[in-house]
Amino acid sequence: MMGWIDQNEFLIGSTLTVFLLAISIQIPLRLGVISFASIGYYAIGGYGTAILMTQYDVSTWTSVVVASVAAAAVAMLLGLIISRLNGLYLAMATVSFSLLLSAVAVNGGSVTGGAVGLFGIIGDITIWHTAGIAVVIIILVSFTERGKLSRRIDATREDSQLASAMGINVTAYRRLSFPVSGLIGGLAGGLAVNLKTAINPESVNFTLVVLALTIIIIGGQASWIGALAGSLFFVWLPEILVFVGEWEEVVYGTLVVFAAVLVPGGVVGVFNDWRHRRSVARERPKVALLEAAAGESDAELTQSRSGKDG
Amino acid sequence: METSEATEAPTYDYEPVAEARGVAVHYGGIKAVDGVSLGLRPGNISGILGPNGSGKTTLLGALTRMVQLTRGSVWCQGQNYSHVKSDRVITLGISRTFQSVRLLPERTVWDNIILSTDVVFKREGDKVEGLVKEAIARTGLEGLEKARPDELSYGMQRRVEIARAIAVQPRLLFLDEPTAGMSRKERSDISALMRNLRSEGLTQLIVEHDVGMMVETCDYLYAMNFGSLIAEGTPQDVVRNAAVQEAYLGKHGRHDA
Ligand SMILES: Nc1ncnc2c1ncn2[C@@H]1O[C@H](COP(=O)(O)OP(=O)(O)OP(=O)(O)O)[C@@H](O)[C@H]1O
Ligand SMILES: [Mg+2]
Repeated sequence: MMGWIDQNEFLIGSTLTVFLLAISIQIPLRLGVISFASIGYYAIGGYGTAILMTQYDVSTWTSVVVASVAAAAVAMLLGLIISRLNGLYLAMATVSFSLLLSAVAVNGGSVTGGAVGLFGIIGDITIWHTAGIAVVIIILVSFTERGKLSRRIDATREDSQLASAMGINVTAYRRLSFPVSGLIGGLAGGLAVNLKTAINPESVNFTLVVLALTIIIIGGQASWIGALAGSLFFVWLPEILVFVGEWEEVVYGTLVVFAAVLVPGGVVGVFNDWRHRRSVARERPKVALLEAAAGESDAELTQSRSGKDG
Repeated sequence: METSEATEAPTYDYEPVAEARGVAVHYGGIKAVDGVSLGLRPGNISGILGPNGSGKTTLLGALTRMVQLTRGSVWCQGQNYSHVKSDRVITLGISRTFQSVRLLPERTVWDNIILSTDVVFKREGDKVEGLVKEAIARTGLEGLEKARPDELSYGMQRRVEIARAIAVQPRLLFLDEPTAGMSRKERSDISALMRNLRSEGLTQLIVEHDVGMMVETCDYLYAMNFGSLIAEGTPQDVVRNAAVQEAYLGKHGRHDA
């Protein structure tokens, strides 16, 4: 076991940082905010850590924490500025934000290392640390997936106007999601840069957004389990299917289309449906009985429903 | 009859539970609501009749702050709440259902009903479950707590909406076509529920196309057309009003009240 972990340290570390990035995208998404800003947070976390460590001799952990908090602060500001926007406009604004940051990375001169980037980032973070952080995040996220909070989050995403009418402060939830997403995205970047010992503009460009979104489409947006399943899938698939090689993107694309069409709720959604069906299977006769008792008549139903916008 | 666009405080010989004063809601050139003033009688079931597109739903939207007022103001217990955010309205004791069923599709009946109850009663968490159970019992949804909306008939989904709205123990309840899509039996159940709630002192405002049921259930009626009130008064008076017959009943023939 330990031998296997040592051999696959890089892949395990990649899985974990990709997972954190996916969670960073998933948090606003669960509130109905389609944001691509996580790539920008990842860049701030990654470059921030690299700059502090290589140019200012700051210790590894201080660098990661400072860079992640910086990402959270930028995210909070971004949230305040763009939270008035809706849907597609908001999504576009976050795309611009991320592209802006990758432009800064390219044109940052000696600070960012330009197109070459920064390397030789040797810290003392092991995959055990990264795994520990991932576990803490999972625990925190799982609190938002049960009880009251999860209901409010679902309502905010599914029908924000209804959520408001139910007394839920939609704006506050959505605004709060920005710094949280920023912190986790920044952490992902800071940890990734330590794993790879290098960072360059290529590694924080738009392909990363596509990857993380794909993971969420495959795994489902409802739960961290989906993000983890998706991360495992995408990091390990190329290892297992060596022949995929240069066809990688084609294979991914095909899989995503299939997943989006066949299992819109993702892997986790399929599991939840199955569990729900099993739990109500016993209740179903009762449902039918109650409805019969209520005097439901199909003829009357169609009659009184027609001609209304419903 | 009150059809003027007066925005100064009108006088009523009762203390209105909620008031619209000269409320107008325009969407570009469309005057969905255009200068409506009304004061809801405490403990009464009031109703709004009006043809499709006459502005009934928009008026409810204005009274629940879900649509922006172009002009006028809305008042509750002597307080102007025209600038209160929509998520605060429920804490004023104003609750509503929607013309189109709006339930969380992935959530159970129980979760859908408790959604607003545990927001409103967040400081009295131990009351919440009891209130939800009571609302479920009153709307005849016992045994369906674990079902998802898509497993229920349309009429049953509407009951969930009503349960959700009454579970928060409102002072004022707006029902937008609560019995649309229901069988006759179900409609009379809901009508009985509304009268029951009235006997407990709950003020209600209902929008319905079923004139017979409205006459039977309501204490007071308003009639709307083209965004304005064209008549108000006792149900009998309103349905006999010439302007109302012309605008609304004419198309539907004799009502069976
Ligand atoms: N968001 C909106 N944007 C533009 N026009 C709107 C909007 N909402 C309502 N309207 C228009 O305002 C008018 C009043 O609509 P409203 O839904 O209030 O009518 P209603 O009396 O409830 O009708 P129905 O009996 O069909 O439910 C209609 O002409 C409608 O098309
Ligand atoms: Mg309507």
